Amino acid sequence: MSNRLLEVKNLVVKYRSGKTAVHAVNGISFGIRKGESLGLVGETGAGKTTTALAILRLIASPPGKIEGGEVEYDGKNLLELPESGMRHIRGNRISMIFQDPMTSLNPVMTVGDQIAATIRLHRKKSRKDAAVEARNMLELVGIPGERYNEYPHQFSGGMKQRVMIAIALSCNPSLLIADEPTTALDVTIQAQVLDLIEKLKREFDTSLLLITHDLGVVAEVCENAAIMYAGEIVEYGNLRHIYKGTLHPYTQGLFESIPNIDEDVRRLKPIEGMMADPTRLPQGCAFALRCPYKDGGCEKNAIPVFEPEPGHLVKCLKWSEIKGSDRRKRLEERRGERIA
Amino acid sequence: MPNNPGSKESSKESVMVSKRNQWGDIAGRLVKNQAAVVGFVIVALFVLCALFPRWIAPYGYDDQDLAKQFVKPCAEHLFGTDDYGRDIFSRVVYGSRISLSIGLVSISFSCVVGVLIGCVAGYYGNVLDNTLMRLMDIMLAMPSILLAIAIVSALGAGLRNLVIAIGISTIPQYARIVRASVLSIKDQEFIEAARCIGASDWRILMRHILPNCMAPIIVQATMNIAIAILSAASLSFIGLGIAPPTPEWGAMLSAGRAYLRNHWFIVIFPGAAIMLSVFAFNLFGDGLRDALDPRLKS
Amino acid sequence: MKKLLETRNLKKYFRTPRGMLYAVDNVSFVIKEGETLGVVGESGCGKSTLGRCVVRLHDVTDGQVWYKEKEISRLSRKDFRDYRRDMQMIFQDPFSSLNPRMSVSQIIAEPLIIHKMCANSFELGRKVGELMDTVGLARRLASSYPHELDGGRRQRIGIARALSLNPRFIVCDEPVSALDVSIQAQILNLMQDLQEELRLTYMFITHNISVVKHISNNIMVMYMGTVVELAPSPDVFRYRMHPYTKALLDAAPIPDPDKKRRREPLKGEITSPIDLPAGCRFAKRCVYASGECFSSDPLLKEYRPGHFTACHNTEKINEL
Repeated sequence: MSNRLLEVKNLVVKYRSGKTAVHAVNGISFGIRKGESLGLVGETGAGKTTTALAILRLIASPPGKIEGGEVEYDGKNLLELPESGMRHIRGNRISMIFQDPMTSLNPVMTVGDQIAATIRLHRKKSRKDAAVEARNMLELVGIPGERYNEYPHQFSGGMKQRVMIAIALSCNPSLLIADEPTTALDVTIQAQVLDLIEKLKREFDTSLLLITHDLGVVAEVCENAAIMYAGEIVEYGNLRHIYKGTLHPYTQGLFESIPNIDEDVRRLKPIEGMMADPTRLPQGCAFALRCPYKDGGCEKNAIPVFEPEPGHLVKCLKWSEIKGSDRRKRLEERRGERIA
Repeated sequence: MPNNPGSKESSKESVMVSKRNQWGDIAGRLVKNQAAVVGFVIVALFVLCALFPRWIAPYGYDDQDLAKQFVKPCAEHLFGTDDYGRDIFSRVVYGSRISLSIGLVSISFSCVVGVLIGCVAGYYGNVLDNTLMRLMDIMLAMPSILLAIAIVSALGAGLRNLVIAIGISTIPQYARIVRASVLSIKDQEFIEAARCIGASDWRILMRHILPNCMAPIIVQATMNIAIAILSAASLSFIGLGIAPPTPEWGAMLSAGRAYLRNHWFIVIFPGAAIMLSVFAFNLFGDGLRDALDPRLKS
Repeated sequence: MKKLLETRNLKKYFRTPRGMLYAVDNVSFVIKEGETLGVVGESGCGKSTLGRCVVRLHDVTDGQVWYKEKEISRLSRKDFRDYRRDMQMIFQDPFSSLNPRMSVSQIIAEPLIIHKMCANSFELGRKVGELMDTVGLARRLASSYPHELDGGRRQRIGIARALSLNPRFIVCDEPVSALDVSIQAQILNLMQDLQEELRLTYMFITHNISVVKHISNNIMVMYMGTVVELAPSPDVFRYRMHPYTKALLDAAPIPDPDKKRRREPLKGEITSPIDLPAGCRFAKRCVYASGECFSSDPLLKEYRPGHFTACHNTEKINEL
């Protein structure tokens, strides 16, 4: 596709300590179009945050290092940009919201000034104009303008996250990366913040890369989803592909692990075992150890990417088997009942 | 299934309820830390000097030879001789015994008392905390050297009283540090968990809180050994500490002060001994703190 | 089934510099033997404080806690020791609830040592081994330290520690909130298996609505220190009588693109229950609030069999 805003190709990131290397991200590729929102889903240690930091070249080095791949943004490879060019991108063209709003704000600066400072950093604006614009941003995210001169500790968690969103959007970036933006918040506040992100995304026509472990959040905000496991994207597609036509055993496992509000299941079906040790990843499929479908072929060679239907990518040799399996049928039946 | 509660393949066997052989781990981590090894070697050398001065020192510490005043360092007198013609190298070697024991004994004393006060104040809080800590504040308000002077002049000069004086004057430092770490550890969930299984206050303090605030205590203690050696030197200098001719590094330093302009070696070598021991204790202490923490990988 | 635990008008207030904090205010509930009471609410609603009051990690300000026909909230520490064995707790954070300086076996053995339940070290070791089997921890991990293990295994250690004294009743304070979903499902299954096998009774505190539904017989919804709804688990989800319960259930994102949440999110935020005026604590955020809601406290009343709600407008809202 030509109208891709961001294109990540074969990104490899490793963290080294002494002789061991943690294979955090192992050759992942994905793209985001203008105005698209992509959910990057995975559990702790899957490499989601590392991917986001790599896009912005914010990986602490050492120990981390981007060992290969390209991050193409607006036709430029960000990995080859000089640091000064990168500074122009960060916070201006691509901005990021972090999980913990409590520690992302400067405690000794008023929230209004923090927004204004970001604006002045990237735009040639007088102090006064920046302050006016900052006040507008505050009101846009649902905080009364008179709270401009208050300090972060006077705000609740949800309000702080709103301030973070205001800072992130203050320079009208074309891509917003949100790293678990609602994980630290209560559900009712999470709903408010998600609605806000959605609304602003539409208003500003911003693309969104939403990183989360919560499949529910992705279903609510995103159009496409990528499921990450052990530093790889194992399944990619639009919501219908991922939620209705699940093809990767790990994605299936995730769905079956979540207790569902709308139905009663006596026992959950957890994915057995634990994530593969990222310092010693197996040759073949990293999920093979925990996979109910695996056979000898899975553990031998690297797994290629299949495209069973247009736009639905899956990294599994057994996808056709899974498509016809009982487990999948059961899953579909369950879903069918629920909709009925 | 890994979580099937029915799996009892080896339920007859007993599990060793213990830590892994911890000393091996600690030693392993310590050896990896080069700075700590350097510190350890230097400390060990001083300890050797303190234990067996007779075998190391070529002369007695008070062998005077007035014919050989102010001899510059040479093969015969490695560090030269002082105003009485005594061999400085021998005096430094003998002095390590006095200085190290003042340092170690006074620090152990103040450490134990200070840690206890800090634990009690931090753990029980309220009135007890206020009373104890205000008392410590009063002690801190006086310069510790003045406090030591007051104590020594009340008790009389001498090695034992010197140790007591220095020990008492450093108690508040430990109390404050320990109280602060107790306060931060007290609110963690594993303390609640310990209360929930019925552990007594004493057990919680000794098994759960104290082991987790060792790091700042060790650092403070190793730094204080240095301060104790210096305090002893100062007290000796004003005549409240070790009486000559007993070789104490600080006393040697102050006695040699008058000759500094013409005979540098009289003060340089005892001074270097103080500096080196302080430095070594700090390096070793830092390494020990890291090695004692099982969370840091070896 | 017999009542195992009951609270009557339980109150826990904290004095703060800004005024009195009504952390738990007038909470009464009953848990029957072998059942699970799920306690849901957002942060600051008093659910953790309530759990800690029940197992006496906090002293109560007023009210009673009955365990097996005996009032235990005012027993002396010594007399309460016997109840310690029966009532245990599993904590939220598998990273801070284990002493980093103790090995796995030491952590699991500690309750046994304190209560002198094993005659010698061989017996102690055997008991620890059995407990590790029970919670699915490999025995070779006995001498490991908690920081060497992942969250799921650490939480198993916490469960083994709680089980070591053969308790009847366990307060589980957000036991799976810090875990990844696949691990969370393992731990939930383990807890259900243990409940069946050992006839345990749980008080399960969580903010996760789908988890609480999965594991509970009864659900109690809390808001700012008070109970707003208490009912059998399916009823809470079917009738969702209290406006806050409605909002809470609606806010939870559903992993299904066909079921997009398209409702007004709850306005405003939960505030600390400090120096409260009279009236319903939810009134300020409630879309149904009327004059009465701001002047008098709603009481918990039974509107359907076994279904209690504290809202002046329950009948109006639910067309009862």
